[in-house]
Amino acid sequence: MLRFVLSLSLVLSPCASGLAQQSARDIVDQVDRLLRGRSSRATVEMEVVTEHWSRTMAMEMWSLGTEYALIRIASPRKDAGMATLKAGPDIWNYLPRVDRTIKLPPSLMGAAWMGSHFTNDDLVKESRIIDDYDIEITFDGVRGGVRVWEFALTPKAEAAVVWGRIEEEIRQDDLMPVWARYYAEDGTLMRTMTFEDVRTMGGRLVPTLMHIVPADKPAERTTIRYRALQFDVELDQSFFSLRRLRDQRVGG
Amino acid sequence: MRSPWWRVGWRNLGRNRRRSIIAATTLAVGYWSVVMLVGWTQGLVAEMIGNGTGILTGQLQVHAADFRPDESVHATIGGRDGVDVAALVANVEADPAVSAATPRVYGGGLVSSGAATAAAVFLGVHPEREARVSRILRSIDRGRVPQSGTREILIGSEMARTLNVNPGDEVVVVAPAVDGSLGNDLFTVAGVYRSGLTDLDRTFVMLPIDALQSLMVFESNRVHEIAAAVPSPWDAEQAATRLDATLQSGAAPLLVESWATLRPEMVEYAQLTESLEGILLAIVFGMAIFGIANTMLMATYERRREFAVLLALGARPAGILWSVLAEAVALALVGLVVGVATALPVLVWWHNAPPDLSWLFGEFTMLGALIRPVLRVEYPWSVTVQAAFAMVLTAVVASVYPAIRAARLPPADTLAGR
Repeated sequence: MLRFVLSLSLVLSPCASGLAQQSARDIVDQVDRLLRGRSSRATVEMEVVTEHWSRTMAMEMWSLGTEYALIRIASPRKDAGMATLKAGPDIWNYLPRVDRTIKLPPSLMGAAWMGSHFTNDDLVKESRIIDDYDIEITFDGVRGGVRVWEFALTPKAEAAVVWGRIEEEIRQDDLMPVWARYYAEDGTLMRTMTFEDVRTMGGRLVPTLMHIVPADKPAERTTIRYRALQFDVELDQSFFSLRRLRDQRVGG
Repeated sequence: MRSPWWRVGWRNLGRNRRRSIIAATTLAVGYWSVVMLVGWTQGLVAEMIGNGTGILTGQLQVHAADFRPDESVHATIGGRDGVDVAALVANVEADPAVSAATPRVYGGGLVSSGAATAAAVFLGVHPEREARVSRILRSIDRGRVPQSGTREILIGSEMARTLNVNPGDEVVVVAPAVDGSLGNDLFTVAGVYRSGLTDLDRTFVMLPIDALQSLMVFESNRVHEIAAAVPSPWDAEQAATRLDATLQSGAAPLLVESWATLRPEMVEYAQLTESLEGILLAIVFGMAIFGIANTMLMATYERRREFAVLLALGARPAGILWSVLAEAVALALVGLVVGVATALPVLVWWHNAPPDLSWLFGEFTMLGALIRPVLRVEYPWSVTVQAAFAMVLTAVVASVYPAIRAARLPPADTLAGR
């Protein structure tokens, strides 16, 4: 009887007392998994603008959970066929020009991926946010006419993560992310990610346009636009193989 | 000098020869050690500067003004438009202090062979010119230097170990290009170098400048650096100032810097050792002061009756004073002659054929420079002169008190044995 009452209060308390830690976790976790699903397949356009050059790449992406991902560049022609395979903690790149596969050394995990403002670490360290971070609500109210929550994510003591703090704003009505700010361990803002163009794609409501702006170079950005997105497609671990990485024809 | 007291002083040295010889030897040994120690530290500093700058840095470098400290690959000399590299190199070489100059292109990326991949700093070099500026291309462990116009690379011994490759093997070279694409190509390992500096041997990869330029989508007129050799390192600062004034042309400003700016820690070390020379001088001759003072006190005490007689016969106290001081100066000069006579041949010997202590220590690195444990000395000319003056001064200072005591002897009491 006592147990029943306790568990009932656990179920009810999030609604009653605003938001407890439990549901903050749920919300952040749900947003975290938004663009991932159990597995996914996407056609993506990535535009990179830097101080010295800008270019647009089209790419195909496959993912399975947080452990596996395959990204193949379709255009421009110079880079077409280049591919990146993530399997667990490892990253391989395939270079069609020399027909070689390169395994990335740990020292280059912090380096830019394909010249973008993403790092290889962003690919590898893509574990579930709620496993690595403590989450608290720092704002609950209306901003710009929209009811939003702002969350502060601080890494757990034992978590091996890149960031010292993440702040994220999420719309309360549809649980869509608005922006996320990533801070270094010393508290300086490193980059800001903004989410736009929310629409239904692959049967889900998702933001289909994302900008990443590095804090030290506000004129630079990487923009990712989803052209097509499917969730829970038929993929298993064997798909994410070095053979597949090299294979130019396989669509998946 | 006409004064007879000088002669008296000099002759007094012969009164107790053994004691004079010991005192002079003390001074000679002091002089010898100061000169040799300073010569050796200066040799060490020279070795460190020579090695630290000669292995790769060069003694002088020309960059676009915005290249350092970020070392952005986009910051080429002359900006986006590039520069007439051959003319610039010729202008740098025209400076009288510069013996050779060479263009360089930098890049970052990775080198991969089989399952092994290593992060690398790429250095595009002009093989023939580079060999005249730095020693890196002469530190070949096996294989040979890459040739211009080929896709060959020279990697360090540590990287060769990581990648498990040997000369003749094929490796993949990947370098982000300046247009945002990912430059990649197959290269052949021409050779493996070993500088002895682990960081260098692990990360630095040399390849022909044209090969790196095409990999990174650079025009051939875009380079990051002109490195130059200045045979006497201490002339580099002036040469840099001269070149900084003459090379400026066009919109994009240049910056010419000497190793003293590029490697400030070496200048600091040189200054530190220089200040240590002064301390060394003070310690050695400070100790000598007491030795000489003791000797002179004994000498004057033994002769107090003689001084008393002289004073009783009408010698002026100042004369007694001078005779004691003259004795000390004579002693110092004898010590100096012996010191110089023994130090100079050893200096010449150790400068040209330094004793090698490798069997005792093995090579070691200091401030990123490889140091051989070799007792090579630089000629410490300024210190040989300073030490000579310090030595005479020591003798004079040490004998002032004994001399005053001798001059103030009460003649009657002394003669009476009271």
